[in-house]
Amino acid sequence: MTIDPLYLVQLTLNGLVLGLLYALIAVGLSLIFGVLEIINFAHGEFLMLGAYAMTFMLPVVGLLYAPALLAAVLITALGGFLLFELFLSRLGQHDFERSILITIGLSIMLLHGTQYLVSATPRLVDTELGFDGVAIGDIRITWTRLIGGGLALAAFASLYGLLTRTPFGRAMRAIAQNREAALMVGIKPRTVARNAVVLSTALCGLAGAALAPIQLVQPIMGQFLIFKAFALVIIGGLGNLPGAIAAAVALGLFESWIGGFFEIIWQEAAVFLLMILVLLVRPNGLFGRAIVRAG
Amino acid sequence: MTALLALEHVTKSYSGVRAVDDVSLAVARHGITGLIGPNGSGKSTTIDCLSGFQALDRGRVVLDGVEITGWAPHRIARAGLIRTFQTVRVYDALSVLDNLKLAAQQAAPGGWLDALLRTRRHGAADRAAAARARELLALIGLARHEAVPAAILSYGQKKLLALAAALMPRPKLVVLDEPVAGVNPTRIREVETVIRQLHAAGETFLIVEHNVDFIMNLCDRVIVFDQGRTLMDGTPAEVRKDPRVLEAYLGAGA
Amino acid sequence: MRRFAGVGAAACAVGAAALLPTVTQSNYLIGIAVSACLFTVAAASLNLVYGYTGLLSFAQLAFWGIGGYCAALTVATFGGNFWQGLLLAAGLNGALALAVGYPALRLNRHAFVIVSLSFALLANLIARDWTELTRGPLGIPGLPAPTLFGFAFRGTATFYYLALTYAMLALGLLYAIASSQIGVTLRAIKQNEILAQSQGISGLGYKLLAFTVGAVLTAVAGGIFVFHLTIVDPLILDFYYMQTFLIMVIIGGAGSFWGVVVAGVLMSALPELLRFSADLRMVLYGAILVAAVLVMPDGVAGWLRRRRVERLRAALQ
Repeated sequence: MTIDPLYLVQLTLNGLVLGLLYALIAVGLSLIFGVLEIINFAHGEFLMLGAYAMTFMLPVVGLLYAPALLAAVLITALGGFLLFELFLSRLGQHDFERSILITIGLSIMLLHGTQYLVSATPRLVDTELGFDGVAIGDIRITWTRLIGGGLALAAFASLYGLLTRTPFGRAMRAIAQNREAALMVGIKPRTVARNAVVLSTALCGLAGAALAPIQLVQPIMGQFLIFKAFALVIIGGLGNLPGAIAAAVALGLFESWIGGFFEIIWQEAAVFLLMILVLLVRPNGLFGRAIVRAG
Repeated sequence: MTALLALEHVTKSYSGVRAVDDVSLAVARHGITGLIGPNGSGKSTTIDCLSGFQALDRGRVVLDGVEITGWAPHRIARAGLIRTFQTVRVYDALSVLDNLKLAAQQAAPGGWLDALLRTRRHGAADRAAAARARELLALIGLARHEAVPAAILSYGQKKLLALAAALMPRPKLVVLDEPVAGVNPTRIREVETVIRQLHAAGETFLIVEHNVDFIMNLCDRVIVFDQGRTLMDGTPAEVRKDPRVLEAYLGAGA
Repeated sequence: MRRFAGVGAAACAVGAAALLPTVTQSNYLIGIAVSACLFTVAAASLNLVYGYTGLLSFAQLAFWGIGGYCAALTVATFGGNFWQGLLLAAGLNGALALAVGYPALRLNRHAFVIVSLSFALLANLIARDWTELTRGPLGIPGLPAPTLFGFAFRGTATFYYLALTYAMLALGLLYAIASSQIGVTLRAIKQNEILAQSQGISGLGYKLLAFTVGAVLTAVAGGIFVFHLTIVDPLILDFYYMQTFLIMVIIGGAGSFWGVVVAGVLMSALPELLRFSADLRMVLYGAILVAAVLVMPDGVAGWLRRRRVERLRAALQ
């Protein structure tokens, strides 16, 4: 069998964009774990929330991409704020199982609430950009994909700057590394935790909004993606941000290549088996221990 | 006579800092050995290393002629080295009696099927454990409370319960990590008496403590740690007179 | 004394349960009773894994569904009978529990939860997408009534005795485990695994035991359940079931054998009382779960236990 190199380049580009968007989800999950030692099982629903916010904002703002996206990110950030203030802030440090049960319950409420309100029917989302794109020779990539990938890269760059250069980010890393020591130097864990949750859900909302014009929007979309995001944070090392990003980009590429030639179910199974394999060989993930590391 | 427990050139670092630095020491059979030292001198890390809760960077640990370096904690416990913890650990929701019976379980014969089918072998082991538990409960003065959940005991009573639990399987060596930290003075006397009685009955102890008087009263040999190394090793009288020990303590305290 | 009272109460409950089809002819009510038997087994299995051992396992949903598919496929595709199907369900899920549990339980409980949930989601995806085997979203309808020595468990009342017998056997085994030294050890591992290790108890072995027993019992319950429905489709792996089991365990009181059994029986009737939109029902379930975890983390049994401890402590001082 010969493979058309152009087709391969096309798949690689698509995979790269997809991987970067996966990384936005995985990074948020990893950040919340690093700072709060909580796994947010409602994370996928924030993605869905971002996508629906985009879907409903677009007609309001005349199909303009940027304001709709901004609104979607703000809405999910607000959702994250409520998640923390109403639920997560009531949990103690050793309430890991309770945190899971609560976020699972919220995930189901959000998923089925959305399904009840807007129906489970998948939607196609149109923007001002439509399905136009740039073409270099025979390789074609739509603007929405290009912008999505660019936004993700910009988000990672800002996140890196935030975690390394600002007191707000340094406090987050300090808590993730050594809670007791961080408390002693006067860091307020509650504020830091809230910031981490808001930041993570905003990233997730960004991913959802950017995905909306690329994929079908449906209530269950968060569930499809969260499964992959879990595998990614395990493979990358729980709480390890660069690890999660690297794993996510690799997964996007891998899926795109495999998806170009094989059936979809073997993708999902392969991801799960890879996670199990990594756990067997390197219990702390491929990239090491649970510390929010910016680089 | 060979030592019951020997550490040879044990080294352990945390992110570049040597918590335990090339330590070699020996614990004699049937003795009460004390281990003292200022905060951060590596006592707790040493205990974690010899009981398998921390992996060594270098060195070996030998228990009764068998090398146990790198063994998992439960395997070391089964080999006859039982440790307690600085922060008191008991099973809060289990009864005082169950707390003790569990501690002897792995030393008893029989497996899961015996326990499930309640075979005669399991019954005999269970009765033996209960009898031993009641003996120890009488010794630590908790006989009246055998049926209550451990959660309702006071801090000092929990410390005693943890001590009794360590002795349940009749281990070769009992390692006590700060048995009287935070315990009131009357209770400290009690702990001292209990250890003396058990020692008279043939037990071997290695005791880590901050309370220097407690160690000097009780132990027949004292090892002093400073900055991850052995500073001194001798009888209580020798340790008391040694200028280096005074300096390590006063230097750290002043 | 308390022990005899317990056995007596259990015997009365079994007697009453056995007489149910003589009291009512309503297939609808007996159908709920069939669900109650099987849901209670699944909830009590989850209780062994989560309530006793402290492992929040979403894999129970996968075992329930895979068990259902094993039993159905054996009859509809592989040319075997119902009983062979249950055997396959037990065997395959036991093996899966060991294969998934060993790597996941070796590290920390965080990773275990993630792996167990991923496993459940994966099972759901495979049920939908592996159409050659599972026939996809359409599922396998028209499952025949099981037969034993020429006797067919046809009709809801007859099927009910099959479900009740299995529930008695499974709950009996779970009770035997929970009340034995094994149960005490599992609770000890949940409360303080480091202390257990220091006493020579290998946490991994006991956790694998609980996880595997829970998997096998849940899988067989799932296998029987699809024959009650007479169809298996990817909905058997819907999160609805997991949530139902979780709510039973949490309301009943994680770690309390009888609390969960009683909650299982009573709460099986709940979906029948809430016969409005399936989506709204799920929203309500989610809200119950969140509220129960926030307000009453140890369930009714835990609340009673805590009161007893407080009384004892007061008496001691």
